[in-house]
Amino acid sequence: MYRLFLAIRYLLTRPINLLGMFGIALSVWALVVVVSLFSGFLAVIESHVQTASADLTVTQLPDWAQWPTLRDGLRDDSNVAALAPRLVHHGLVARPGVRPGPPPLPGRTSLHGGDQPFVFVIGVDAAAESAVTGFGDWLRNPEIPAALRAPAGSDPFAGADDRPRVLIGRQRMERDGLHPGDPVRWTYAISKSNEQGKVETDQREVDLVVAGAFQTAHAGFDGNNMFVREDVLRKALELPEGAVQEIAVRVRDESQLVPTADRLQRIVSRALDRGNQRSYGAVETWRERNAPFLASVEHQRGLLKIVLIVIMVVAAFLMLATLSMMVTEKVADIGILTAMGGTPAGVTQVFLACGLSITVVGVALGLSTGCLTAVYLEEIRQGLRWATGIDLFPLEVYNLIRVPCRIEPLWLLQVAGMALATGFVVSALPALRAARHDPLVSLRGT
Amino acid sequence: MSAPVLTARAVTKNYRLGKREIPVLRGVDLSIADGERVALLGASGAGKSTLLHVLGLLDAPTSGAVEYDGRVVHDLSVKERALLRHRHTGFVFQFYHLIPELTALQNVLLAQMMGVSMFGYLGRRAALRAQAEELLGQVGLSDRLHHRPAELSGGERQRVAIARALIAQPRVILADEPTGNLDSATATGVVDLMFAVQQQRQLAFLLVTHDERLAQRCDRVVRMFDGKIVGEEAATGAGAAR
Ligand SMILES: Nc1ncnc2c1ncn2[C@@H]1O[C@H](COP(=O)(O)OP(=O)(O)O)[C@@H](O)[C@H]1O
Ligand SMILES: [Mg+2]
Repeated sequence: MYRLFLAIRYLLTRPINLLGMFGIALSVWALVVVVSLFSGFLAVIESHVQTASADLTVTQLPDWAQWPTLRDGLRDDSNVAALAPRLVHHGLVARPGVRPGPPPLPGRTSLHGGDQPFVFVIGVDAAAESAVTGFGDWLRNPEIPAALRAPAGSDPFAGADDRPRVLIGRQRMERDGLHPGDPVRWTYAISKSNEQGKVETDQREVDLVVAGAFQTAHAGFDGNNMFVREDVLRKALELPEGAVQEIAVRVRDESQLVPTADRLQRIVSRALDRGNQRSYGAVETWRERNAPFLASVEHQRGLLKIVLIVIMVVAAFLMLATLSMMVTEKVADIGILTAMGGTPAGVTQVFLACGLSITVVGVALGLSTGCLTAVYLEEIRQGLRWATGIDLFPLEVYNLIRVPCRIEPLWLLQVAGMALATGFVVSALPALRAARHDPLVSLRGT
Repeated sequence: MSAPVLTARAVTKNYRLGKREIPVLRGVDLSIADGERVALLGASGAGKSTLLHVLGLLDAPTSGAVEYDGRVVHDLSVKERALLRHRHTGFVFQFYHLIPELTALQNVLLAQMMGVSMFGYLGRRAALRAQAEELLGQVGLSDRLHHRPAELSGGERQRVAIARALIAQPRVILADEPTGNLDSATATGVVDLMFAVQQQRQLAFLLVTHDERLAQRCDRVVRMFDGKIVGEEAATGAGAAR
């Protein structure tokens, strides 16, 4: 009993110890708030990415892959709900005669996209694509202004003439000032082996007409992709009838995504087996397909954790300094505590209790304020914007309606554990010094 | 007659300074009975404080034995010795050694807390507090309960220290030059108080001093020189106000 009593008295008479406590609280607070924000962000981004992706995608198909063969094999799987063939190429898309702008700063493309003329051009069958992804909804997205909309009805690529038409991301269209009916030119390269077996690259151009805008929840997707009718791309790439480069798959039971991917992989490998020891075609889940992007967000969260843990280390040093100062001063009391019936271990615990009280209160303070802040982050953002005009979090960029936040209990436990362990070490060091102090020295001396 | 409350048998104590062993106590025999008041006189450096620490189980003898009520106690475990310091012995030192962060009352309460668990304390808080207040009243400090040591005079501080030494109802008081830091008028007051309590509670009392007049107010005077007891006599009672 006397230990806690004395520890609290020691602390209360030395307000400087509050510094260490606030340091711990601050670092815990920051770790809770920032990581909850990022976890929420990650969850939202993930769901956005998912809505802009097919459940499964068959990729890395060879030139000679044939859609009818693969389709017949794949649709036998019980978990396959719908399939859509795609052709995919890339190139520069700009108004004819307009020189494309410079490429964007590194790092911007992954999230925002569309700052650059380089895009993927995807050749789709609109009806099949709508059955597999949200393609139809992307065209009817209420955020698209009426003036930019593609023709309603079953064929978004329909037009008065038979010039090939292209669907462009809404933000890109607005930025480039494009409207339906405007001409754009797609510049691309195709590689072909000549008679000697050497690979030659040709630059080609196709003139397209803007059909309208599409918009998914994932701005990065919208900025980096454009859609044309499948046969436009087939002609441009000089591919044979029935050629397919990618197959988008919708499954019935999403919880069976991974086993389904494995089964489809076997079907594809078997269908494309030429007896030459090579395997063609790879089946990826939407998560695998977007792994680099999702990992980059997660990576940022990891970096932030490290930065914030540094705050905790600084707080720990602060605590170590104030506790050491206190122990230096208070070893004088060790003699009388021993005379009153304290054991060396008990006296050490007084100093340990000082540090641990600071830590426990700091952690409790940090966790509670951290959770409160995380929960009311959106309200805080609005209040701050109203009061100062500063917007902490540009929601529109990420297609969000409120600041995302996900408080993960495991993370709270980890933060608390980390802070408590740090606090314990930092308290134990000066306490051990006190333990080595000879009580008789203070009793003999003045 | 029953065994004395406190006995030292052939106690020696050497301090090690580098490779050299420095003998500080060279075979001390001493016993103090219940209700007996013994003065330990000797020049500075004679080993008086060292003997008091050994008797109070704050320090271990190099050889010899310390007995409480005829039971050898110097070689008990750390915990048992701590418990004996709490229950059996009260200490009073020249420099008071009050905890500066605590009020007079809290300093006394702290000594009580040493002997009980947290729940034991919380359960009996009011009673323990009343006890401490009463004791502080006995030493004349009822109106200084909530003063910190820095706000008390030397004499008042030593009275708090005396109350603290008495709160656990020990049977022995070991006092190391308790008046060494006080002016003579204050010293007389403090000594009168200690003797009165000693008398009332029939405590064994070892008073280390180099004040000859003060020593003569005890029952017995033991003289120490260079780590040995060189003389023992019944006090004259001179200067005593008994
Ligand atoms: N820790 C120690 N190491 C070495 N010598 C010590 C130590 N403590 C005390 N001494 C020596 O023991 C002798 C007796 O000291 P002490 O018991 O304090 O004497 P007194 O109280 O009679 O003045 C002194 O010479 C002192 O220097
Ligand atoms: Mg001394």
